[in-house]
Amino acid sequence: MPAQPIPKGANVNDIAQCLFDEKMNEKYFHKVARTCYYPAVDMFQSLVDRGLRLSIGFSYSFLRQAQIYDASLLKKFQQLVSHPNVELVGVEPYHSFLFYLDVNAFIKNMQDMVSFMEYLFGKRPVVTDTTEMFQSNEIYFALAKAGFKGTLVDGRPWVMGWRQPSYLYKYDGGPYIFPRHYQLSDDVGYRFSNKHWSGYPLFADTYADWLTSAEGDFVFLGWDFETFGEHHRREMGIFEFTKGMVEEVQKRRGEFILPSEAIEKFANGSHTLPLSQHPSTWAGEGSTEFFLGNSVQQSIFRLMHHAYHKALLTNNIELVELAMWLLQSDNLHLVQWFGKHGNEAEVSAYFTPSEWWRLTPSGIVWEMQQVYKNFIQAMDAHIPFIRQQQTVASYQPALDDLLYR
Amino acid sequence: MLNDIKPENAVFVLVSFEGPDRYSLAGGLGVRMSELSRSLAETGYETHLIFVGDPSLPGKTTELGGKLTLYRWSQWVSQYYPGGVYDGENEKLYDFDESVPGFVVEQIVWPAIAGNKLVVIMGEDWHTANTLPNISDILYQRGMRDNVLMLWNANNPMGFEKINWGRLGYVSTITTVSRFMKHYMWSLGINPLVIPNGIPQRLFSYQTENKADMVRERIGGDYFMFKIGRWDPDKRWNMAIEAAAQLKSMGLKPRMLIRGGAEPYEGEVLHNANRLGLNVAEVRPADNKLENILDVIDSVSEADVLNLKFFVPDDLLAIFYRAADAVLANSGMEPFGLVGLEAMAAGAVVFTGSTGEDYAQPFKNALVLETDNPAEITSYLRSLDVGQIKKIRENARWTAAEFTWDKVNEIFLTRLNFLAYTSLPSEVLAKTNEGVRINYV
Repeated sequence: MPAQPIPKGANVNDIAQCLFDEKMNEKYFHKVARTCYYPAVDMFQSLVDRGLRLSIGFSYSFLRQAQIYDASLLKKFQQLVSHPNVELVGVEPYHSFLFYLDVNAFIKNMQDMVSFMEYLFGKRPVVTDTTEMFQSNEIYFALAKAGFKGTLVDGRPWVMGWRQPSYLYKYDGGPYIFPRHYQLSDDVGYRFSNKHWSGYPLFADTYADWLTSAEGDFVFLGWDFETFGEHHRREMGIFEFTKGMVEEVQKRRGEFILPSEAIEKFANGSHTLPLSQHPSTWAGEGSTEFFLGNSVQQSIFRLMHHAYHKALLTNNIELVELAMWLLQSDNLHLVQWFGKHGNEAEVSAYFTPSEWWRLTPSGIVWEMQQVYKNFIQAMDAHIPFIRQQQTVASYQPALDDLLYR
Repeated sequence: MLNDIKPENAVFVLVSFEGPDRYSLAGGLGVRMSELSRSLAETGYETHLIFVGDPSLPGKTTELGGKLTLYRWSQWVSQYYPGGVYDGENEKLYDFDESVPGFVVEQIVWPAIAGNKLVVIMGEDWHTANTLPNISDILYQRGMRDNVLMLWNANNPMGFEKINWGRLGYVSTITTVSRFMKHYMWSLGINPLVIPNGIPQRLFSYQTENKADMVRERIGGDYFMFKIGRWDPDKRWNMAIEAAAQLKSMGLKPRMLIRGGAEPYEGEVLHNANRLGLNVAEVRPADNKLENILDVIDSVSEADVLNLKFFVPDDLLAIFYRAADAVLANSGMEPFGLVGLEAMAAGAVVFTGSTGEDYAQPFKNALVLETDNPAEITSYLRSLDVGQIKKIRENARWTAAEFTWDKVNEIFLTRLNFLAYTSLPSEVLAKTNEGVRINYV
């Protein structure tokens, strides 16, 4: 940023080059790899050897960047996933909001994702998450149609109603539903480093007590992978805490269980959970407002629609893929701060690349929209009707004429 | 103290949109960059010219025994814009600003400083007004800023409104091409150094005299006037056309050869010519051989205005300049007026405007027009006697010889020495001079 203008008639590769700041992406990828991915994957590798059972999901966009920027990191993740105590869960491939725009394409992407994961990791996900744990009646049935055996929902009170999040649920014959225990998850995910939190500092034995004394069949904990070393820095003790927590849970005879094992174990006693028509998410206050709550987000969201639909008009699968990259939720997340103050705004501002702030807040939102507008316009040349490509040679007489001397 | 800047201790980096490729030539700037870079390289300086080059040519070429390196930038963008250097201007500008600075620092400045050389970076016109500060920022971050002299040159006021003068002026010494431009820029709170434009030595090598006489005879008419330039009101085309019309109304036979660009203003000028009763004909020869051109001109002997619709190379221009009774470089606004000077090199009787043409002295080496009244042209034209014409032609050539690139570079290098002495830290001067390696992070 500022948005790079795209030459008229640019091919897909050149369009992509103008849309994405690969240098900056790579810089941040390496930064997070150093502080989080490498130490965290090493930690989990040693913990699964010691009995931790965990599930992990990867977006295609993350895997693609890992492959390009740091292939050895990808190998480390592959090694972790290959462990019998690790289950691979599905994730929307582009971390996008495609389900809002094209539910059939969403279903297909989720099915393709399963095949891709099996190809890359040798394991086939049967339980799936979605982007930012978005879940609703419609998404649930889309996932059912895609063939998943289980899915996730953030266990917010307004989603669960009178129910506890620590049971397995199901709705009308669709996939089993794991409600994330949002209180216990967020104690670590959000509050761990918060010195103003009454639970600070959180120690492993205390947390293990909370986990093992929770009511229900199980506690489903869900975190960003970046919780370990990025959201909470190493010096805050997050790695020691996690290692200690596993040990403390085991001391209390607590067990770790994989989602597919939980389905086997608790399927017969599963309960009914009707899902809201309005989606829930694990982000912010748990509703779509976090991503679509301000006018800038809504404007960018509309441009996402236009970009995707224009890409469909081109019949060019590569352009459709670019549109999907532009659909990623992060592009709405990182302007959540617009017109807001407070903790949530601070969190989303943290996700905005520091290099952009020199543009000023209004400059950032203007240029972000410009990226979409440039993309939409650049696809003009790819709408399939007959065009003649002009070359320098064909322009030579005109060039001669331009030169007055 | 630093020895004077010389080929052994300095490297030049010229950054410009225009350059020597036909694709990259849109006017005076392209010619300037071609000639300035060649002249520096011929003097022995390692010279790098970065410009928006022809996408079909190699990205990097070297000339003059490796002294001159041409970098054709933004070729991946230019391939989508076959219409020349300014086609797709915004797209090229973004790419240029983003990618040139890192390249210059890593690939040119870094090795030069490692070799104890001073680097002079010169940007041209508004398109590079962000590039230079971006280069400066990277140099500063890398601890190399003190080893580099940066200049930014204004060839004309185009795009001035887009320039962050505070930022540009902070990182570079601003220069321009004439005292007129200097004064013009005073109004912006800027005091640029004046380093004039130059002309290539080869302009003096064309043998024009015999051919010019023949051309003059074949063109015929009472007054043969020649005008070349962009179709732009600043060039005062209508003043020239009206001068021809005045001569015609006096019962004289004007013959005016004109060559413009591809700008739409041509339509207005030619409409005006027709309205004033001038006969306009296009000249489109099969090629640009002089004999073929003159044959076409002969075929339209009744025409008062002959609109040349072909590329006119330097050597042919020199003949027309020399042959004409008047070369009308009568611009109302000219930052420097390269055409006037080039015509003077051919020994022409040049009618200049009175803005940036510092080289023109009224009635000594040129006719300097003080108004936009066409009668000023016809009046001077009709009053000149053979002796005056001869003297003006001689003086014009003499003056032009003072503006060849080697002479201009003497001024340029002297100014650079002044800048080096006054703007570089003394330890850098000393280290550069002693050949001590300069450490940087």
